[in-house]
Amino acid sequence: MKIDEKALEEWIERFEEARELRRKYADWNFIKSQPERIKIALEYYVETGDYRGAAQMAEMAVDEFVNIAKEKAKIPTVD
Amino acid sequence: MIAITDTSFLIDWVKYTKRDLIFKLFELIYIPESVFNEVRSETTLLWIAEGLENNKMAIFPEISELRNEALRLVLETRRLPIRSVDFPEAYCVVVGKVQNYVVLTENGGALALVNYYDEYKEVKVMRALEVLIELYKRGFIQEIKGEVKDYSRQTNHLFSNRDLRKYGLI
Repeated sequence: MKIDEKALEEWIERFEEARELRRKYADWNFIKSQPERIKIALEYYVETGDYRGAAQMAEMAVDEFVNIAKEKAKIPTVD
Repeated sequence: MIAITDTSFLIDWVKYTKRDLIFKLFELIYIPESVFNEVRSETTLLWIAEGLENNKMAIFPEISELRNEALRLVLETRRLPIRSVDFPEAYCVVVGKVQNYVVLTENGGALALVNYYDEYKEVKVMRALEVLIELYKRGFIQEIKGEVKDYSRQTNHLFSNRDLRKYGLI
């Protein structure tokens, strides 16, 4: 696997910026008020942006999870 | 142009009131089986059903050699210190390369992959931001800054300042 190390570094930086934005906009009161499994999934999603893994944790379909994350927990999708 | 879309793009794009404008850019949008199978929300399913009925969308079958290559990408990227690519997105990227289709995605793992992985750098990837800009360039959107703001508001999708600056939108 031939990797462009400079591009990789830039994406690591971008993911960190995206994480900060998700942390900033998330409704933490809503997240903390959720049943444990959903809370863990939402927190994981804020930290990683991994909606598929988070949906599995929450035992939900991917789009259902993302919709709850956006509409209820106010976690934006960030590129 | 023909595109192939992943779940992340569909989830947001379907919330956009002008979502059907996308068919001005793409004569056909493929949805891989793995993506189709994970969609549950009624709004998204309704839009897909309309697209399938009108022959503007079609399901892209899972082909074993493409599937194997996608799985290789999943495994390779899991070794890196960055968000890896999941199978449905990897499959879109592989199909995009082999068939020369545009890959529609908002998935960070897939977006990063086509940037840092030399073998896949020629794959054309578009996020909603690039789709909106292309619609603007072709005259289907009158005012791009306002439209990007509307899209963000309607979909709760934030575009990074880095990207907005790159396209002269801030």
